[in-house]
Order: sequence, then C-alpha cells, then structure tokens
Amino acid sequence: MTIEDKLGVDKFHTDEINSHIEVDKESTDMEEIQKVIKACPAGLYKLDDENHLLFDHLGCLECGTCRVLSKGKIVKDWEYPIGTRGIEYRMG
Amino acid sequence: MGEDKFDVIIVGGGLAGSTAAYILAQEGMEVLVIERGNYSGSKNMTGGRLYGHSLEKIIPEFAKEAPVERRISKERFSLLTKDSAVTLEYAGAKTGTPGCESYSVLRAGFDRWLAEKAEEEGAMYIYGIRVDDLIVRDGRVCGVIAGDEEMESDLVILADGVNSLLAQKIGMKKELLPSQSAVGAKEIIQLDAATIEQRFQLNPGEGLAWIFQGDCTDGRIGDGFLYTNKDTVSLGVLTTIEDIDGKETTIPQLVDRLKNHPAVKPLIEGGKLVEYSAHLVPEGGYSMVPTLYRDGVLLAGDAASLVINLGFMIRGMDLAIESGRLAAQTAAAAKEKGDFSADTLASYQQALEDSFVMKDLKFYDGYEKVMEDRRLYQDCPAKADRLFADLFVVDGSGAKDISKKIVPDLIEGLENYNS
Amino acid sequence: MNIIVCMKQIPDTSEIKIDPETNTLIRAGVPSIVNPYDKNALEAAVQLKEQHGGTVTVISMGPPAAKEALKECLSLGADRAFLITDRAFGGSDTYATSYILASSIRHIGDYDLIICGMQAMDGDTGQTGASMSEHLGIPQLTYAVKIEVEEDTVTVHRETDDGVMVLSTKLPALCTVGKDINEPRSATMKSKMRANKIDISEIHVDDMPGIDREKIGLKGSPTRVKKTYTPTIKKSGKKLEGLTCNEAVEALAGFLTEKKILKGELV
Repeated sequence: MTIEDKLGVDKFHTDEINSHIEVDKESTDMEEIQKVIKACPAGLYKLDDENHLLFDHLGCLECGTCRVLSKGKIVKDWEYPIGTRGIEYRMG
Repeated sequence: MGEDKFDVIIVGGGLAGSTAAYILAQEGMEVLVIERGNYSGSKNMTGGRLYGHSLEKIIPEFAKEAPVERRISKERFSLLTKDSAVTLEYAGAKTGTPGCESYSVLRAGFDRWLAEKAEEEGAMYIYGIRVDDLIVRDGRVCGVIAGDEEMESDLVILADGVNSLLAQKIGMKKELLPSQSAVGAKEIIQLDAATIEQRFQLNPGEGLAWIFQGDCTDGRIGDGFLYTNKDTVSLGVLTTIEDIDGKETTIPQLVDRLKNHPAVKPLIEGGKLVEYSAHLVPEGGYSMVPTLYRDGVLLAGDAASLVINLGFMIRGMDLAIESGRLAAQTAAAAKEKGDFSADTLASYQQALEDSFVMKDLKFYDGYEKVMEDRRLYQDCPAKADRLFADLFVVDGSGAKDISKKIVPDLIEGLENYNS
Repeated sequence: MNIIVCMKQIPDTSEIKIDPETNTLIRAGVPSIVNPYDKNALEAAVQLKEQHGGTVTVISMGPPAAKEALKECLSLGADRAFLITDRAFGGSDTYATSYILASSIRHIGDYDLIICGMQAMDGDTGQTGASMSEHLGIPQLTYAVKIEVEEDTVTVHRETDDGVMVLSTKLPALCTVGKDINEPRSATMKSKMRANKIDISEIHVDDMPGIDREKIGLKGSPTRVKKTYTPTIKKSGKKLEGLTCNEAVEALAGFLTEKKILKGELV
C-alpha cells in the first residue's frame, strides 16, 4: 500500500486553492530537501526526475514536522488550514 | 458580562481545553472554546493510551460513559532486529486495578465526548474557526482574533496543541527544536473484537499496550507502538525528527517496517487500514516547558510541552488533563480576585509544580539524554538477540555458559531493586 | 421581504458506503451535513435579505438531530429556524413531505419567497420543492442561476442548452437553485456565536390543526420503491493506439461502417 493509498482512506476537507504551507520549490539545498522528504509522514515532499522539489499541500496531516525541521529554509511559511478545512480524523 | 466578552476564551477543544472548559463552566464562569476542527478531536491523534488518574479526579468512573476502547491489562516491550524480537510481557496484579487504570483511546470520539460534557455544564463551543492571533494591549492578552473579527475575554487559555503558533506569536514560546520534537505516524487497522482478543490473548474489554525499539525506527531514536482498541489496532512509530538524517528510510516506510516485522505481521493479518494519521510530540522534558503564564494568558497541555517519553512509557494526555484542571482553578481564583495579571496567574505555575505534572517531569529531567543513547536502538536489540539465541537455540555445537552467568545476575539485580 | 428556505439534513455523501449484499446505503455512523444545494438556497436568500431587508427563516423536517444542521444555517445568515418534527411524519415520501412542508409554511405564515435547493443529494429526486409550490398554489421558478426581486416581482435566470431563459412572476413564489447560483459564505466566529444563542422552535403535527392526517407519513405516501440496483459497469470501448492520425481516422471509419453506424465511404 503506497502512502497515497493510505491518505486516500482519510477524510479531508481540502482547500484546493490556498496552500497553508509555503514551500521554496526553487531550493537546491539537497540536504534540507532530503530531510523534509524523509520526515514528512504524508510523503508530500518529492523530487522530480530533474531533482526539482515538488510539494502539494493536499494530504497534509498538519503535524508541523517540516516547519520544525526547515523553517526559513525549505518551509517559508506554515499556518494551519483555515477553520473547517484540512484533515478530519474520524478516529484519531 | 458584555455581549461579546467572556471570562475565559480557550483556544483548542482537545483534552486540556475541554477539561478547563468543563471546570470553568461548573464554576459558573462564562467560557468560550474555539476549535478549528469541525468537532473536538477531529485534528487530534494519540498512540495511544490514556492513564486515567487525572480525569478520574474530575469525572469519577469516566470510563463507564466515555468512549474508551479497552482497559489496558497487559504491557509488552520488544527489542527488534530485522528478523528477531526479544519481548518482555507484563500482566501484573496491579495493572488496571482501581486508581491505576489506563485505556486505549481514539481521540476523535474521546475528545468529542469530553467537549459534550463541558457543553452540558454550560461551556460554549464554536467549531471550524481558526484563531489567527491574540489581542494584546500593553503586553496584556485581552482576547482572540479570527479573520477580521475580535472577541474579548479576561483570560485566554492556549490549549492549541504542540505547535501552538499563538504562543509563539506572542513570544511565550520559541519555535520547537528538532531535537525536542518527535513525529508520530500511525495506522488504525480494523479487525473484529474477537480476533483481537484471540490474537493478543485478551479478555473481552481488556487491551494490550506494546512498545518496540530497534529495527522499527531503522536504528533512529524513537519507538514503535501498538495498542489494541475495541475492533481496531493502533500501530505506528515515533521518531525524534533531528534524527531523520543518516538513514535512507522515510517515516511512512518505518510504519510499514513495523507492520511487516515477523513479530507483528501475523497479528494484524487480514486487517484493513481505516485511518492514517500523524502528529508531533514535544519530547524535550522539563527543560522544554515554556513560560506558562503572562498577563491574561495561560498555556496548557501540549502547547505547554507537558509530555513525558521514557521509551517504554509515553504520557501526555494525563498531564494535559491535569494542566487543564489547574488552569481552570487558577482562572476561577483570578475571577474571584478580579485580577488576571501575571502576578495572580503565577499560582498556575505553582499549582503545576505541586502536582504530579511537574514533579514527574522534573523527576525524569535529563532522562531524554538516556533515551538519546543510540545503543538502545542499534546495539541493544542486536545484543539481546544474540543473548537469547545463546539461551534458547541448540545447534549441537556445544553449550554456551550464558545461562550459568545470566541467571545469578538476574537474581542479584532483582534482589537489589528497591521500589 | 420575508424568505423561507427549506433545508434537508442528509448523510455526508462522501462518507456513504453501499452494502454490496443488499445494495442499500449503510447509514449507520455516517455524519450528517446540510444538503449542499440548500446552502446555495440559503446564500441566495441571505443576499436578497441584505439587498431588500426582511428575514430569512430556515425550516427542516427531520429528527431532533437535524437541529445541528439548522444551527449551521443560523450561523450562515438565517434569522430563525424551525424544526418540523413528529412521529406522525415518519415514512413520508416526497409527496407527503412537500405537503407537510407546505402546511408548516402556512403555519409560519407571512412570506414572500420560498427558496429550495434543486434536489437533495441523497435522494436526488428534485420533487419536493416543485410539489410544495403546487400545495401552496404559488408559481415556481426552478433551477435558477440568478434571482432578482423588484417590488412584488421575482425574476430568475435559468440556463438552458441554447442560452439563458429569463422568467418573472409575482410574489409570493418558490424558486429552486443549484450550485451555480453562488458560492455559500463561511461562518465566522461571531456568526457562530449568534447562532448558538438563537432558539430553534419545533413544529409538531398538533400545531397544524388544518393538516389532513391521511396525507402524511407512510399512509400519505403513494411512492413505492419496487427495486434498487447498482447498474452493471459497461465494458470499456475499443482503443485505437499506435496509429498515425490518418490511419486512426481510417480505422475508426472502418469500424463504424462495419457496425453500420456510418454509411458510405470516406472521401
């Protein structure tokens, strides 16, 4: 089961337009990039074939790990999604 | 009270926030809880197990009405290598007896129940609103800001969780450090109750708490965990995020690693994933606890970093509940006095120091350094594996003298233990 | 101007699972939401109120738990809310429901406009709003994408395949709307608090002495569900791959001719 499959089981009220996390997708700091790739429990940070950083806020579990690891570097801004939006745990 | 002014506004309807709301409402105070999720618990997750003692003081026999999953009657601890497990199991006479109960819980249901209790007592809840900032005048917190609206109160209790961006905004708390934070990721796997009871050898209604160290974190500082719920199993890993480097595995891969470990896999066979969740855990111990009070504001629960992780035991919810209770008592006394200044609110700090919360945090102060000893996650599981292989495996190549040595050592060690 | 909005609390359609054995919806444990089209209806009503003044009243027929959904409507701009609830209403189909709603509206009294969502997302019949207007003897303007009121006239726009149809009628009238009419607002901290403070009144069958008890509940519901089934999935079509444009056109034409869908030859 991939991480995408796992997230597919969860319930989200997605905010398709606004991302609550601002990521420096131009970053080439591979050390930092590797950290967030490995640490994000939702696997939202990825590299494409040309080693460009990809990030999608949809599927974010709002844990804050990327912010704590890389604030001011990869993660430029991190807020919770606006009220009612984002992950909604049915079980928790 | 004016139309738009409350005695207390609580940000966050989790366990600390709702406990505080419950008590404040009982005290007859005007209290508003603002929760950003659509219901209490919708943004929360735990491993997890709740030690019942602190809620028991507030709602005696709460487990009879609260949606707890199972009363924990059995503890397991395992050291894992890639293909071996050395497991200790404890089911003592005292485990789960009155005063010592702990329960597996799922937060979406549990927090919702506690919020409803607080509402019944008269607390007002509003859901689906994110508090963006606090109203601060002359250094004094006077209320909250959400969107372009403001709401005033004599006191704000920040029970907004581990990240507490609000406490950071007003400078009560610094950004979390990677060394003080662990990320937990969990799967909830559905099996029926009878299967769980059979596979984990449990009586109906009773549950197991299981901690793993070693292979499940790929040798990183952290633990794996498994808790049995009514008809699901909570399974996941908790890893210090500073330790993310150096290994190639990702957090989602670690969860799979535990699931596929030979000591775990057959126990969850045929189970269906029903939820995947993640959360940060503040693990810095006593020294991480920030300023807890200031003019017009208190911090409680995870926002105040009140968590104890000893590796084999992880506690946060019982501390959150106690801190919520003490914050409410402090607020009630401040209301009585008509003074919500830092001088008055300082009694919150004192009350926490006098309670098990700070006593236990202080007792284990520095223990996180022990937990940071990498040998626990790398050498110890491998050595334990070799030791037990020498004890139990017979291959005809000649006996090892290990049992001749270890049994006297064990007796000696236990003899010398004074609780 | 006084506007009544009809709202249905439905199971969250994103959470519904089908029991594969009985082919029925598994409703147990499924959270309830305000029918999304009804949120559009409410938003349309609130916008009209903001332009013309007056009140917006939301009504819903359902069990006491539907008060939560009514509370949400209050936080989205409604001024008052009524829950129409009685054991006698149980088992009502769209015909009986529209009759009960119409009776309740007569009981509430004074109104200029009724706005309904075009259909409920759980049943998708789209019958209740229209038949309610018949029970009340007022004109209906359905599937509106725009509603304007001037003096005693309501004008709506409805989209058709050929263009926009503009219809007007005298008030009182009933409109139904879909999701294209507006983007419902979000509740705010203060609007939620205001909603918390408003009492939601109940309307029971005894409150409506004129109601014909033969026309409500299971007894008053002529609809009988004969059968429900999940349509079998059709086999996927034929895919033409690895061909140049011209080859593909020829292959397609050949295929269609062979199946007697096309006649003649390609020029």
